[in-house]
Amino acid sequence: MAERVDPIAWQQRLDRMTELFSSLVQTAGEQATFRCPYKNRHDECTAAFGCRNQRRPETAGGLRLCRGDDKLDYRDAWETA
Amino acid sequence: MADITDVANAFLRSEIEEFVERPNESARLVDLYAGASPEMQAIAAALVEGEDDDVDRLTTEALAAGVPALEVMDNGLIAGMSLVGIKFRESFIFVPEVLACARAMKAGMAHIEPILSASGIEPLATVIMGTVKGDLHDIGKNLCIMMLRGAGFDVVDLGVDVSPDDFIDAVEEHDAGVLGMSALLTTTMPNMGKTIEAFIDADLRERVRIMVGGAPVTQEFADDMGADGYGKDAVACVELAKALAGAARGA
Repeated sequence: MAERVDPIAWQQRLDRMTELFSSLVQTAGEQATFRCPYKNRHDECTAAFGCRNQRRPETAGGLRLCRGDDKLDYRDAWETA
Repeated sequence: MADITDVANAFLRSEIEEFVERPNESARLVDLYAGASPEMQAIAAALVEGEDDDVDRLTTEALAAGVPALEVMDNGLIAGMSLVGIKFRESFIFVPEVLACARAMKAGMAHIEPILSASGIEPLATVIMGTVKGDLHDIGKNLCIMMLRGAGFDVVDLGVDVSPDDFIDAVEEHDAGVLGMSALLTTTMPNMGKTIEAFIDADLRERVRIMVGGAPVTQEFADDMGADGYGKDAVACVELAKALAGAARGA
């Protein structure tokens, strides 16, 4: 017999996910005040746009490195044109 | 109370020991993972690593083996995301890694959706999301999409640099009731208004509710260009989408 999911039980999971993701979004907002959100844990840039802080990747085809020191507002370095 | 050695998955054990510093959180995760089957632990581990292909495969296998969808959610996908949240809060990982984990979660949930549908549980609405023409910034949009999917919306992500025609095509193709547009640049913000005008010109404006957001966007700007709503962040985006989806259904 095909599995059936109880709608109330499913809504509880959605509520749990919303709680988890809301916390993630709050952390993202806090982190964005001191660290570029496009910079990953390896200090590589994941942005699809140019930025003056980008440097050549260490390996061919890899992500560009971020040389931003996060002491200044990183958004000034983003290329917007 | 379980012990860390009760967690069968070596990766999860090492993650807890290396990254979870608060004793109460460590104990909660150990209990959670120790009470989960090795298959569910493997899903959680793949999600924490952001490996969407592995989550896809492991979720498929688990459901085919008869593991209930809610168990996959609780002990696999949500269990993994709980650890992701702690690592992010403590700055061991950052937004790009979190978004990779969210993509992995979506890969797993894709296999649960048919079971929900067969149970009579449908998405709240279909939402088309994209960053407007000329704009390549996508973090805010991607966080909104993560929140919307977690809240039960079906989201079609058009990516960045999306033209008005592409927004229109997507709304028609997916019969979407809600459209979300993002812009980070003051120079690309006007393209939101141009997209809304394109919907008017195509005689489709009444068919879709349009919400906008992005760092330079304000409620006043949203009102001026004729949007139906403005969300200041990803959390507000979800509440707005719920209200607009309800309005669309009532129209």
